[in-house]
Amino acid sequence: MSYQTTQQLYSSRRRSSLSNTGSGATWNRNQNTVAFVSSMKLGPVAHTILVAMMVVVLGLVYLTQATRATSYDYEARDIDNRIAELTTKKSDLEVENARLTALEAVQKSKVAKAMVAPAATDYAR
Amino acid sequence: MALRKGSRSKLLAVFVLGMMLLFSVRLFQLQILQHDEYVQRSAAEQIRPLTIPAKRGLIYALDGSTPVPLVINQTVYTMFADPVMVTDPDKIVDVINRVAKDNLQPNPEALLSIKNSRYQILGKKLTRRQAEEIKKENLQGVGFQAVTERVYPEGKLAAQTLGFVNAEGLGQYGIEAQYNDALTGKDGLLKSVTDVSGVPLTIGNRNIHKPAKNGDTIVLTIDRNIQSYTEKALVRGLKKAGATNGSVIVIDPQSGKVMAMANFPTYDPANFGHVKSAAVYNNPIIDEPYEPGSDIKTFTVAVGIDKGVILPNSTYNNQDFIKVDDWVIRNATRGHTGNITMQTALNYSLNTGMVTIVERLGDGSHINLQARNTMYGYFHDRFGFGKLTGIELPNEQPGIVIPPTDVQGNAVRYSNMSFGQGMDLTMVQVASAFSTLVNGGVYYTPTIYGGLLHEDGTFMQAPVKQPKTGIITPKTSKLVHKMIHDARAKFYATEDKAGYDIGGKTGTSQTLENGRYVDNQTVATYLGYGGDTMPRYVIMVQASGKGLNLQGNLHALPIFTDISNWLIDYLKLQPKR
Repeated sequence: MSYQTTQQLYSSRRRSSLSNTGSGATWNRNQNTVAFVSSMKLGPVAHTILVAMMVVVLGLVYLTQATRATSYDYEARDIDNRIAELTTKKSDLEVENARLTALEAVQKSKVAKAMVAPAATDYAR
Repeated sequence: MALRKGSRSKLLAVFVLGMMLLFSVRLFQLQILQHDEYVQRSAAEQIRPLTIPAKRGLIYALDGSTPVPLVINQTVYTMFADPVMVTDPDKIVDVINRVAKDNLQPNPEALLSIKNSRYQILGKKLTRRQAEEIKKENLQGVGFQAVTERVYPEGKLAAQTLGFVNAEGLGQYGIEAQYNDALTGKDGLLKSVTDVSGVPLTIGNRNIHKPAKNGDTIVLTIDRNIQSYTEKALVRGLKKAGATNGSVIVIDPQSGKVMAMANFPTYDPANFGHVKSAAVYNNPIIDEPYEPGSDIKTFTVAVGIDKGVILPNSTYNNQDFIKVDDWVIRNATRGHTGNITMQTALNYSLNTGMVTIVERLGDGSHINLQARNTMYGYFHDRFGFGKLTGIELPNEQPGIVIPPTDVQGNAVRYSNMSFGQGMDLTMVQVASAFSTLVNGGVYYTPTIYGGLLHEDGTFMQAPVKQPKTGIITPKTSKLVHKMIHDARAKFYATEDKAGYDIGGKTGTSQTLENGRYVDNQTVATYLGYGGDTMPRYVIMVQASGKGLNLQGNLHALPIFTDISNWLIDYLKLQPKR
């Protein structure tokens, strides 16, 4: 990398303008009359390296995002597996519930065995 | 420095240029001309199509008005081993013996020692808990395969109505076959780029995700309590009668909904392969037409009244026999000779009375074409005998009713038909038509499909099928209704609960062997109704057995009575006062 230091740190535009035009031109309020010039100047190699670094950074950003998307896939997969597991458990419980409430099971239950047929029935009309 | 003509540098430049040209041509061929082929190859390696299996729909019955499951799905596991990978066979046998002994295949030690095999099934139908417990042991060379199977919480209940699902996942017999497409649903598809482990990734724009559509959950009109009681009553009755085969159908005469459909012998749909004969899968109520016998006399009487040729108290001269062409038809019950009423003829099931009615449909003394046409018009066209009823079950048989235009449809045939012989009908046909006789003359198509149960638990009832009115007039129905009640009350009133309207008619039919009626084998039938202010149920019972002489009044009627008296309580019918 090469650079050079300039002797003049800034130059007044007002003065140069006045000297250049010689017409006594006026300056508007708030108008910059001083242009700062960087003391550093980048050469072609520095530019190339900077561009390369920017490409690398952008590439890394892209890779990070792509990897993150993939990691979401794995998370989603885990959640799917969990849902499938819970669905299976729910299904098992439904089967168990159906077996426990089946007529055969109900009729064999202690409650059913303790029941007796009514001796007489009357009807409210 | 300028190159001289023919220098090596120039040759090199030409060579490099040539190579670049070659590469360009090759790249053009690969990327442009063969683009599609390589895209396909790439997709084949990266994109994996995964089927999302649809769950088979369930089958429910009713408990009163609440749907309850009859057929549900359960995930079970098949435990297998790779004998080459197994390091500790003793531990495997020990663990499976401890956790799932009942599911263990015979001689697992021998299976694990078959070293030239990579797949041996050690256990079947393990529950999820059992599979998880075994997995915790980290057994080397052991794996599990999830399998969905049909589970029947009510056991054998309504087996022939339900059918079963075979090893290929296809519904066989019953509702499983009838609604196979609706129950199967539609598999979904997931086409996705996967990683090396086969995990689907969302990257790529060629992913396809079509969710599966699970099968419908069907609710039947069968009431599980009525079905259960009917099955038990049938077994009790058959055992008492010494009969080997029997069927009962219970129908709501005000809607045509089948409340129960029981057959014996039956089978366990969870173990459908463990049967002696595949005939047990059939449902005789819909697919085994037979000569129903004297219960058909109720229909003959109805035709006579509806056509205005008789009334219950109309008389005829009974001589215990009647001649039709060259044939003599006799009564099974004899002695009630002389001028007797049609009610008496029905009470004592006299064939002569029924033949007389058919004669009166013609010229009064012959069963001519007009009489036969009239009878056929009622039996076939109005009552639906010899036609499919359209009940939502597979393999329904139409039976046979010979038309009068057929050479076989002569006077003798139609005289026999008047008392239930000479035609083959299914029980579902007869019970549905009988409902018409007692409900005011409306024919409801028998139905067993009650509707759909949605995933949110709402029960959407099937639309009501359009009934056919005017099959017989309401006046005729009222008279026949009373005649049927009186026919039962004459002999069996004490067997029924007091205060209810119960009626019925017996049937004892000869069977045909090699085209001839035999005397040593009869089928017993009872066809009746019950209710309070109106008929609430129609029950048809049939009992039979090889080489057995079974009587309608002795062997089928007690089964009707048993179910009828129980139904009165179950349906909470109030006695008439």
